Amino acid sequence: MDHRSLVFASVFPVPSLSHTTPTPIATPDLGYTGPGQSFGSPFVGNTSGQNRLVKRNVAWSTATRFLSLPKLGQDGSSNSSFDTQRVPKTAEVEEALQYLLVDEGKSEDGHEEALVDWYTNEARLHFAGFVRPALKELWQKDIELQSAWDVLEETQRTLQQVQDLYLQPFHEHILPVICHTNDSSSTIRPNRHSQTGPDSVNWGFRRDIHAVFAHCLPPHRFSKTLSYILYDGGCRLFRIYVRRDGVHANTTPENTRAFRDRMTNLLRGLEQVGLGGDNAQKAFAHAMDKLMDSFIVSHYLKVDWFSKKSIVPHLRMWIKDGFNPLIQLIMECLRCDSSDVQPTELQQWQEMALGRLGRARVENLFDFVINWDKSLGAILDIKEYLKVSGAKQQLASSFSQQVSRRLLHPGVTTTYILNVYISVIRAFHELEPKGVLLERVARPIRRYLKERDDTARIIISSLLTELNDQDRTKFAAGSELSYEIASEMQKPFTNVNQEPDEELNWSDMNWQPLPTDASPEYKKSKVEDVIWFLLTLWDREDFINELKNILGDHLLRCQDLEYEKEIRLLELIKVRLGDDKLQACEVMLRDVLDSKRINASIRASETLSLQTPNQNQLPQTPENAPMTPRPRRPTTSGPSRLPPSTPNFKPPGGPVLNAQILSSFFWPPLRDDEFLVPAPIQALQKEYEARFERIKGMRKLRWMNALGDGTVFLEFEDRTEEFENLTPWQVSVIHAFQPQPGEEWAGGKGKGKAKDNSITRNVEQLEELLEMDEQLVRQALAFWVGKTVLRETHPDTYAVIENASTSTADPDAAAAAQELAEVQAQAQAGAVRSQSDLLDEKKAMYMSFILGMLTNQGNMPVQRILMMMRVMVQGGFPFGVDELKWLLGELAADEKVVNFGGDVYGIRKG
Amino acid sequence: MALSTGARSNGGSATVAQRLQKELMDIMTRPTSGVTAFPDDENMTKWTATIEGPDGTPYAGLTFKLSMEFAANYPYTAPTVLFRTPIYHPNVDFSGRICLDILKDKWSAIYNINSVLLSLQSLLGEPNNSSPLNGQAAELWEKDMDEFKRYVLTRHKTPEELDAEI
Repeated sequence: MDHRSLVFASVFPVPSLSHTTPTPIATPDLGYTGPGQSFGSPFVGNTSGQNRLVKRNVAWSTATRFLSLPKLGQDGSSNSSFDTQRVPKTAEVEEALQYLLVDEGKSEDGHEEALVDWYTNEARLHFAGFVRPALKELWQKDIELQSAWDVLEETQRTLQQVQDLYLQPFHEHILPVICHTNDSSSTIRPNRHSQTGPDSVNWGFRRDIHAVFAHCLPPHRFSKTLSYILYDGGCRLFRIYVRRDGVHANTTPENTRAFRDRMTNLLRGLEQVGLGGDNAQKAFAHAMDKLMDSFIVSHYLKVDWFSKKSIVPHLRMWIKDGFNPLIQLIMECLRCDSSDVQPTELQQWQEMALGRLGRARVENLFDFVINWDKSLGAILDIKEYLKVSGAKQQLASSFSQQVSRRLLHPGVTTTYILNVYISVIRAFHELEPKGVLLERVARPIRRYLKERDDTARIIISSLLTELNDQDRTKFAAGSELSYEIASEMQKPFTNVNQEPDEELNWSDMNWQPLPTDASPEYKKSKVEDVIWFLLTLWDREDFINELKNILGDHLLRCQDLEYEKEIRLLELIKVRLGDDKLQACEVMLRDVLDSKRINASIRASETLSLQTPNQNQLPQTPENAPMTPRPRRPTTSGPSRLPPSTPNFKPPGGPVLNAQILSSFFWPPLRDDEFLVPAPIQALQKEYEARFERIKGMRKLRWMNALGDGTVFLEFEDRTEEFENLTPWQVSVIHAFQPQPGEEWAGGKGKGKAKDNSITRNVEQLEELLEMDEQLVRQALAFWVGKTVLRETHPDTYAVIENASTSTADPDAAAAAQELAEVQAQAQAGAVRSQSDLLDEKKAMYMSFILGMLTNQGNMPVQRILMMMRVMVQGGFPFGVDELKWLLGELAADEKVVNFGGDVYGIRKG
Repeated sequence: MALSTGARSNGGSATVAQRLQKELMDIMTRPTSGVTAFPDDENMTKWTATIEGPDGTPYAGLTFKLSMEFAANYPYTAPTVLFRTPIYHPNVDFSGRICLDILKDKWSAIYNINSVLLSLQSLLGEPNNSSPLNGQAAELWEKDMDEFKRYVLTRHKTPEELDAEI
């Protein structure tokens, strides 16, 4: 006994420290004789006490010898021999027991050792000596999951046997004596247990034994193991294969009934040896928690992709008919206090399970949204989940995170974001028709879309796209058109008549209060109207500006003379945004429609004067309606049939011109490259102008030669070709390859001379002749080379290929040139001026703004400059930080401003 | 854009803002060397102007900052113009107030920011010594130009120093 134990024992008397072995028979302890008393004298005082002591000692020794437990070898396998070799119970023993337990020999006020305590100690020591080492060894290491069942069963069996061994003498010899006496007399025994009596003695003894059992097992490990087997049992009973512990359950169905019996037996046994109770209950709760989780991720609760139904009813049913009975069964086995489950508890479990299911679903909500509407089942699950309190917040924040991680970054195309946004709208409409959640989760997406430059363009051009099956390729990934938007547009136009104020509609029986969690600016969106959401992305002005640009471009290129789609789109937007702001767009539309009429009437007067019968129908035929609009008051659109490039070919009636007259005030800035159109066209323009002025009361036309398109017939020596949809500069350039007046062809038909010396022009000549930008000239030349009409004879010098068969034109060169032409044409294509053109053009003005600002207001950060520019520049500063930084960079290169580090710029001094 | 629409909606001051924005555009598209001005914030009613001292005057090479404030009925009343850079000048007092007829009774709606600034610039070279706000300066201008220049330079502060004070 070490020092610490001694100290401990001096304060808290530990029976085992002073435990006595059964007294040997030969040496009865006669007690202690006080000083001055004669040894062994019968006359000594306190004789009765002396006698009692002697008698008790004798009885004690008899009883303890009888009750002492068999000492066995260390080997646990000899367990089976536990209850052999018991000493026969003699009358002497019985007397001794009687004496010690109930009669005078019982312990007095704790001075002497009580027999029950002794026996308890005996059992304890026996356990420590013979059983514990085996159990210790069993539990020494972490229990392998596979062997958990065996270990627990082994433990239970051992403990059960030992307990039987200890309890048997106790029940047979000690309890009856106490019982008997207790029945006959009402004497209160001073025992260590406050409440005496056989029950409490029995209870106390069991408690002590169980404490010994429980202490010999590592508590944490034990509860973990127990928890595991409960979980394992649950999984096996419910056939859950995807498990938390990583064990791959064998998929062969087990005999559930047999397995259930095994489990209940084990649990009952554990309860009997005192391993049930609170700890087991905790382990059990833990296991059930895990079981529920596992069930939720199991194959039973996979998203129903096929029939698109919610699986929540299934979950509720399982909780009610599977989970709940299992819990009751186990609780019964472990003899927990409240073994019957309250209905409210059942409901709580269902809520809990639903909450977990919902959270699991919400974690993947983004994927479900992308796969809408195949994912309807999952969305319906989440819809159920939303009834759980706190679910909406969780959903909103989780989804926002997913969105910002997976969608709102520069690597995603705007088209894709728009498509996802549409899916979000649709999915969330199903999720929560009131739209509060949608409003919340869509806010970051909307904000992000607003920042993208191309959003408006994509939306509007998608809206204007014809949705034909053969055009599917247009919507391929990476394309700028959104199939979703286009198909939305195709949908019948649902009436969105807004009831004036539905809050005042007293007779509305379906009235519901606004959702409590709605934000102040929440508006009930009655229709699941994707287009409405898209059109309200911007402030109206911004959107309409963008619309003007795109619509303008579209109108100028449109081949449909009735402009049905455009009219429809405009009506659609009017309904949604109110028609007051769309004046400009309406004017644009009316311009193109009016132009048709004006063309017709001008043509009519022309016909009268020219008496050319077939020109009457020209304005009506679409291929004859290219346009050359130009703003300033009214404007005109294009030459229809441009003159053939070779002089001796005359189509009936000569070139024809159709114009589109645009009200410059309302149209966005249009591209306005100055160059000369072919002389016949110029003549036509003049004539058109004159007639127009006559009709329209002297209003002036300003021609915009860069817009419009043309059709030409080219006649060569060996062939005639027709080209349609040419840009005006292409027409002009090819026209320039005709012999000019005053050139040598004056002798008549130039053909003869051109034979061996076809007309050549170089780039410079053309620039001069047409007063055209070099860029345009080159682009047009490349185009014609691509069409094998021209050939580059020397660098920058081109000649007409009069004879295709004899031409030495390299097809590869032609192909390459064609490619080049296409690339360039794309860059040139926009009729409406692009932003970068605008930036270039206004660069000087912006720069002087920046300089003025920095001079007067001192150094400023870029953001502030940008803000001021947006506010101060008349007409707005439609650019972002990048463009501004570029301007500042230019200024810095000119040594006018200095970057003071960070984003702060200032005027350079000196 | 935002401004012009916003301005339209609130009546009287709208026209002022529009007018001022137009003037700003004019100044920016056709800058006059030596004078420039820019609004302090989106309200447009307060501006800061910068004048460079004309060559051949005691103020050559110096930069002066001025504040301009426009009333709601501008251009029918003159703007309030003050020198923010301390200046030693016969017609400017020590708090920067200016004595210039077109800013007082001779104001007319045909003037604009640019013309006011140009007038002020020429005032630097040709002070009106008959009605001085700073008598000493008027006197020195007449009598001792070197001394006058010394005063000008002592009193002057560069925009950076000015900014540092604020």
